[in-house]
Amino acid sequence: LNQDLVGVQIEQRDDDVVVARLTGELDISVADHARRKIADAVPNSAVGVIVDMSELEFMDSSGVSMLFSLARQVGSHRQQLRVVAPPGRPVSRVLQIVEFGRAAPVDDDLDSAVAEIATQRASEPPRG
Amino acid sequence: VSDLPGLFDVRVKARSIAYLFAAGATLGLLTLAFPHDEEVRDVPLIVLAGTAYVVAAVVWVGAERAREWHLHVLLLAGTVIISLANYYAGPSTLYPLFYLWAALYAFYFFSLPQALAQMAFLAVAYAVVLAVQNADMVVVRWLLAVGTPLLAGLLISRLLARLRRQARELRQSEERIRMVLDTAPDAFITLDRDGCITTWNVAAERLFGWKKQEALGKAMRELIVPPEFRDRHDARRQALIETDAPVATEHYDVEFERRDGVRFPGEATVSKVEASGEVFVSGFITDVTERLRRRAEREALLREQAARAEAERVAEIVGGMQALVDAALAQRSLHGILRDLVAQVRGVLDVGEATIYLSDESGRLTLGASTPGEHAGGEEFAARVAESREAVLARDDRLIGVPLLAEGVVTGVLVAGAEPPREFSGEDLTLLRLAAERVGLAIAHARVYEREHRIAETLQRSLLRERVPHLPGLDVDARYLPAASEAEVGGDWYDVIPIAGGAVGLVMGDVAGKGLAAASMVGRLRSALRAYALEGHDCGRVVDRLNRLLWTEPEESQMATMLYVIVDPAASTVRWVNAGHPPPLMVAGGEPRFLRGNASVPLGVLPFPIYEEVSAPMGPGETLLLYTDGLIERPGEHLDDGLAQLAARVSEAPEEPKAFLDHLLATLVPQGGAADDVALLALRNLPVREQFSAEFPAQPESLAPIRSMLRRWLSHAGADDVEIAEITTACGEAATNAIEHAGTGNGASFEVSGRRDGPEVEVAVRDQGSWRSERPDDHGRGLGLMRTLMDTVAVEPGADGTTVSLRRRLGQRGGEA
Repeated sequence: LNQDLVGVQIEQRDDDVVVARLTGELDISVADHARRKIADAVPNSAVGVIVDMSELEFMDSSGVSMLFSLARQVGSHRQQLRVVAPPGRPVSRVLQIVEFGRAAPVDDDLDSAVAEIATQRASEPPRG
Repeated sequence: VSDLPGLFDVRVKARSIAYLFAAGATLGLLTLAFPHDEEVRDVPLIVLAGTAYVVAAVVWVGAERAREWHLHVLLLAGTVIISLANYYAGPSTLYPLFYLWAALYAFYFFSLPQALAQMAFLAVAYAVVLAVQNADMVVVRWLLAVGTPLLAGLLISRLLARLRRQARELRQSEERIRMVLDTAPDAFITLDRDGCITTWNVAAERLFGWKKQEALGKAMRELIVPPEFRDRHDARRQALIETDAPVATEHYDVEFERRDGVRFPGEATVSKVEASGEVFVSGFITDVTERLRRRAEREALLREQAARAEAERVAEIVGGMQALVDAALAQRSLHGILRDLVAQVRGVLDVGEATIYLSDESGRLTLGASTPGEHAGGEEFAARVAESREAVLARDDRLIGVPLLAEGVVTGVLVAGAEPPREFSGEDLTLLRLAAERVGLAIAHARVYEREHRIAETLQRSLLRERVPHLPGLDVDARYLPAASEAEVGGDWYDVIPIAGGAVGLVMGDVAGKGLAAASMVGRLRSALRAYALEGHDCGRVVDRLNRLLWTEPEESQMATMLYVIVDPAASTVRWVNAGHPPPLMVAGGEPRFLRGNASVPLGVLPFPIYEEVSAPMGPGETLLLYTDGLIERPGEHLDDGLAQLAARVSEAPEEPKAFLDHLLATLVPQGGAADDVALLALRNLPVREQFSAEFPAQPESLAPIRSMLRRWLSHAGADDVEIAEITTACGEAATNAIEHAGTGNGASFEVSGRRDGPEVEVAVRDQGSWRSERPDDHGRGLGLMRTLMDTVAVEPGADGTTVSLRRRLGQRGGEA
């Protein structure tokens, strides 16, 4: 029931990018649920996944752990993970404190994250 | 005799006087033909005779136009002629005898005074003649000539008067008889010896259509007797006439024929009458069509009454069964129906015992219900009945079994046993078969209903949360009271949805309809609303989308009233949208006020209604009440009265939600339950205190309420948005640790307390486990966050638990984000 606390909306973009938009609050009661929901939505063919936290009201260290775990999972498929967290919001403050930037890039808004992924793809050799 | 008045007709009188003139003249001339006295003067007498002849001729011819006074004048003239004749003939002749003629005429045709007047003129005229002649014995002659006719005339006059009277009496008597016969309601006919009609009254005219003048003289057999009965008519008439008795009467029921050919049944009372040697037949005839019809009607009525009595007897018995079906349709439990059924069957059929076996899906029979005591029939017999699918009589007609069928499927078997000397008859069999038809349907219906009801009830229970979530700083309680009479689950629902940021969404709704359909609709609305609410939409958009969901519902027109309220304790406001629901009630310091702004139409009514969010302040200590119309609607009462009642009860109710709701239910819901389902939801915004302490179950689900409580308290303590977010995050980490340490389940709890110490806030989290610095998969990030976000973090391990104290001075870290 507590899964209602967080909302996860998946958007499959035609440029092989999956955008997961989070709303509500992300704590230990829903973190695993959110991770599975995002991971399941990412096909092997996807280039990368963007976790959009612009509208997430709250995130604690369990949310951070979820992101690390997601980053590992995505990395193992040689896919990119990018997180969107506008500065000045409680979520971006948490990400900053735990230095999440070392694990995956954090963007200010969704547009720049999408653009970054496109750039990265262009610079990489095409995968077999 | 009846023609007597005709003798006094003026024509007859005129012709008679003409005869007299002519006869007198002829007699006078004849006397002249014989040798006679010298003194008789022939010439004047011949002239007089001629005159008389002329008068006679004129009167004879003009008799048609004669008047009464003409006759008087003629008679006077005749008297004058006779007198002149006496004068010219001299006293030796017998001419005075002519006076007798005039007198007789006068007394015969005129009234007595008129006749006497004529006689007086006659006396004077003859007296004058005698005086002129100066003859002998004048007085004797005069007396003879006048006295004789006077005497004769008077005698005639008397005779005539008597004859007239007798004729009149006879006429009146006949008139009376005819009137009696003509006004008689029945036809009266008399026949002569040969069967010809001699009397035919008005009623006969009416009855047969033949006029009197058409009927008289005709043979009755030809006129009104149908051809095939004519011989019998003749035979009967002949037999009646030939009876020895002078008077005889017979009754016959016979058929007659009217002039227009229509036949009718008649009753004839026929008498033989023998009078003055003449024998005839008289008869009264009555049309008995109406009487026969009434008798037939009466007989039909009696038959119908008898049939109805019989029908009512059967209906009463079957009605007993029907009552049970009605009970089943009123949706009672299958078990209750079966118990009533067997009791009813025993009562109606007057049997010793009754048992109902139910057939399950595989066709196996199990005991459904039976009257108290032993049941002799047993399952073997029941199985035999179920297999034959026919009513079966057994054990010397003391055991009877009928299959209970619903749409051709055997749903069970009804077995009834009689105690001696009672034996079952064919009638019982029919009756029981009739009963079984209804019972079968009732059982099938009850089974379907029970299944649906069970599902609906389960669904409803799962939809209405038994326990509302724990919301720090807020006290929420809810009640659901099913209607007193309704066995069906209603469409009322409520929900409490914690929303990110410490707010809480309250829902109170009422889906039109009842039962499974309504319950499942509630389920869909509830899930959709939760999803929309978590997406963070404002109230208006949430309700808008629900309306679209309902509007596009393809199955049937679904409708619901709903109230969606977001209580934001941190901002001390409520925002709501009202979709056709009774207004929420806000209570501040015992003062109730309805939040009425912008109520819109119910969901599912319009494709694009406008649902606008309205907001109002809600300070600490205030209570918000949501309810469904079952609480305020009472039959025959205006809705406003119900609302006024509610406001009155609210103002006297205690503040704490549990007691608050109990008070409302106790005072507003009548003894024995409300007419409709009642759902109630009360939320109290608890007053914020300087310090707080609350216990929470050691479960991840406690975290959101703790955060919401902390936000509220921090806001009240004067923290800004960044401080609220950071301190909440840090304390959340401590709480997460406490939950993790407690392990899974087993009812452990931990305590969160807060205290403001001057410019500093301190939050302590005390658990019952042993402290570990790290959670698995955490890599110390939780503790790191606590240390970064707070000024001090103190961990005090103890024998029965660990306390983590977090302190931070407010207003110190401006712009440090």
